[in-house]
Amino acid sequence: MSAEAAGPVLSWAPLAWLTLAPILTPLGFGLLLLWAWPRRVQVGLALAGTLATLAFAAGLLWATSGGAVLVGALGGWPAPFGIVMTADRLSAWMSVLAAVSAVLATWQAAADPDPVREKHHLFPLMQFLFAGVQLSFLTGDLFNLFVAFEVMLVASYALAVLGSTREQLREGFRYIVMNLAASALLVVTCGLTYGVLGTLNFAHLAQRSAELGPNATVTSVGVLLLVVFAAKGALFPLGFWLPGTYPALPPAVGTFFAAVLTKVGIYALIRVFTTVFTQEPGLTSALLLGLGSVTMLYGAFGMASQREWRRILSFAVVSSVGYLAFGLGLGTPEAVRASVAYLAVSVLVTTALFAIATVAERASGTRLVRARGMIDFLPLLAGCFLLCALTVAGLPPSGGFLAKYALVRAGLGQGSALALVAVGSALLSSLITLYAMLNVWRGFFWGKHPTWMPVYRVPRPLRVAAYAATALVAGLTLFAGPLFAQAEATAAELSTPERYIRGVLGDGPVVIPLPPTTPEAP
Amino acid sequence: METLFALLIGLLIAAGVFLLLSRSLVRVVLGLSFIAYGGNLAILTVAGLREVAPPLLTLRGPYMDPLPQALILTAIVIGFATTALLLTVALRAYQVAGHADVAAFGDNLARDPHAEDDTFADPEHQGPDRPDEPEAEPVPIIVRPRSRP
Repeated sequence: MSAEAAGPVLSWAPLAWLTLAPILTPLGFGLLLLWAWPRRVQVGLALAGTLATLAFAAGLLWATSGGAVLVGALGGWPAPFGIVMTADRLSAWMSVLAAVSAVLATWQAAADPDPVREKHHLFPLMQFLFAGVQLSFLTGDLFNLFVAFEVMLVASYALAVLGSTREQLREGFRYIVMNLAASALLVVTCGLTYGVLGTLNFAHLAQRSAELGPNATVTSVGVLLLVVFAAKGALFPLGFWLPGTYPALPPAVGTFFAAVLTKVGIYALIRVFTTVFTQEPGLTSALLLGLGSVTMLYGAFGMASQREWRRILSFAVVSSVGYLAFGLGLGTPEAVRASVAYLAVSVLVTTALFAIATVAERASGTRLVRARGMIDFLPLLAGCFLLCALTVAGLPPSGGFLAKYALVRAGLGQGSALALVAVGSALLSSLITLYAMLNVWRGFFWGKHPTWMPVYRVPRPLRVAAYAATALVAGLTLFAGPLFAQAEATAAELSTPERYIRGVLGDGPVVIPLPPTTPEAP
Repeated sequence: METLFALLIGLLIAAGVFLLLSRSLVRVVLGLSFIAYGGNLAILTVAGLREVAPPLLTLRGPYMDPLPQALILTAIVIGFATTALLLTVALRAYQVAGHADVAAFGDNLARDPHAEDDTFADPEHQGPDRPDEPEAEPVPIIVRPRSRP
C-alpha cells in the first residue's frame, strides 16, 4: 500500500481548467437561456450546452486515463487551505455518465414541447441542475460538496414543482422537506468533521484520519455521513420519498432525476469511504451490506406491486441503489470494480427506460401499463424495452448481466456471512425484477390490442430519443471489455488512496504507476 | 460554556423537530429553519469556543479560526435561499389545495376540507383502473396494425 517510486511529475497546469469546465459550461448556458429566445434557439442552446459539457467531461476522462489526478485550485490557493476541484478517474467517469444522461434528457425535453413550463424557465433550470451535479462530482472538499448538493437540489426543487399540478406540489413538498432535513444534518456533520479532523479537504481528511488510525469519534462521524448520503441516495429507510416524487415530475426532467440524482449520493459514499474513513471498515461495511440487501428487495417488491410505468421504474431506481450499496459494502477491489461498471449500466438503462416510458404513456394515453398488444404499433420500441428489461433484471447478453455477475462473484469471493445474505438478496431481487418487467411486457406489448382503445401518434424525435438511449445500453454489451478495463483501473486507483492524497496535496499531480492488472473477462 | 451551547443546540434541534412534525405548512418550514440554526451553532461550538482575538491581522494573536465562521455564513445564505423557495412552494400548495394542512398532503392534496369522509378527488384513489384524465385531449390516430399470420 505504499506509493511506489514516484513516476514522472507531470505539469498539468494547462489542463487544470478542465476540472472547472464541465461546471461552468452548463452554468453559462443556463444564464444565457434565461432570455426569452424563440423556442428553436432555446432548444439549440440547451443541446449545445449539454454537448459541450459532454465534450469537456470526455476530455477529463482522457486526461485522467493515465492515472493522473487533475487539481484546479480556485483562486490559486494550494490544496489544504483553499477549495480545490479535483478530478480522478472516478470523478471523470461519473461526470461523463451524468453528461450523457443530460444530453438525452435535454433531447427529450426538446422533442416534447411544453409551452407553460418552458415559459417558466424549464431549460435554464435543467442546465443549473446539470451544473450542480457536475460540481458535486468534481469538488475535492466536503463543505463544497454540501454547496454542490444545494446548487443541485435548489434547481431540482424548482423543477419538481414546476407546473404546480396537485400531485407535483404534494410530492414536491415532501421531497423538499426530506432533502432539507438531510442537508441540515450534512452541515452539522461537516462541522463535526472539522472539529474532529481539523480540515475539510478530502485528501487532507484522508491523511489526517490515517495518522489518527482507528478512532471511535472519526468512525461515528463517518456513520453520520453515511446516513446523510443514504438519504440523498434513497437507501431503504430513507428512500421513501423517491417512488412518489419521480412519477410526478415532467417526463424529461424525471429521466435525468432518476438516472443521476441518486447516483450523486452513491458517488459521495464511494469517495468518502474509499479515501477518508478507511480505518475501521467493519461497521460501515456491515451497515451498507444490510441496508443494501433490504433496499434491493424493497425496490424489487415495489416494482412487482405497481401498475404505473413511472412508479415501476422508480422502484427500479431504488433497487439499483441497493446493488451499488452492496458492492461498496463488500469493499474488496473486485467489488468496487463491479460497482463502477454497474454505475454505468444503471445510469444508462434508467435513462433509456424512462425515455421508453414517456413514449409508451403517450402512445396509450394513460400512465398505467394496460394497453395490450402495442408491439403491433411500436415494434422497435418493444425491442428496446426488451433489451432494457433484460439489462435491469441482469440476464445475458446484456451489460446488466455482466455487472451483476461481477457483483455476485465479488460477494461470494468475500465470503462473510453478511455478504452471502446480500448475495442471496441480490439474486432474489433480480428474479423479482424480471417478473415485474415481464409483467410490463405482457401487459403492454404482448397480446392483442383491444380495438376500443385509441393509439396516439408519438412525435418522432421523442421516439428517437428512446432508441438512442437504448443504443447506448446495447453499447454496454458491445464494449464490455473497455468498460470493465476502465472499472478495473478505477477500482485499483480507489484501493490506493495514497495516490489521490499525493495528487492533491503533493507538489502537483504525481503519476504513480498502477499495480499491474490483467483485465480478465468478467 | 460548551455545555451551555450543547444544551442550546439540543433545544433548537428539538424545537425544530417538534415543529417539523406538526401539521401546518408554515410550521414545517419554521422547523427546518430551527434545525438549520442548531446546525450552525454546532459548527461554531465544535470548532472550539476560545477567548482569543478575532482573525484580524492588525490585532495581536493568537487568532480565532475564521473557517467555521465562513462555513456558517455560507450555510446561512444557502438556508435563506432554500427557505424562501420552500415558503413559495408552501404558498402555492396552499393556493392549490385551499388549506395549509400537511396531513392532508399525505393522502390527498385535493381533498375538499368540507366534503364527507372517503371522498377523494385524487386520481390515485379513483379505483385501480381509472386512468388520469389527460390534461389536453390528443387527437386519436387510429393506426391499422399489420395483420399477423
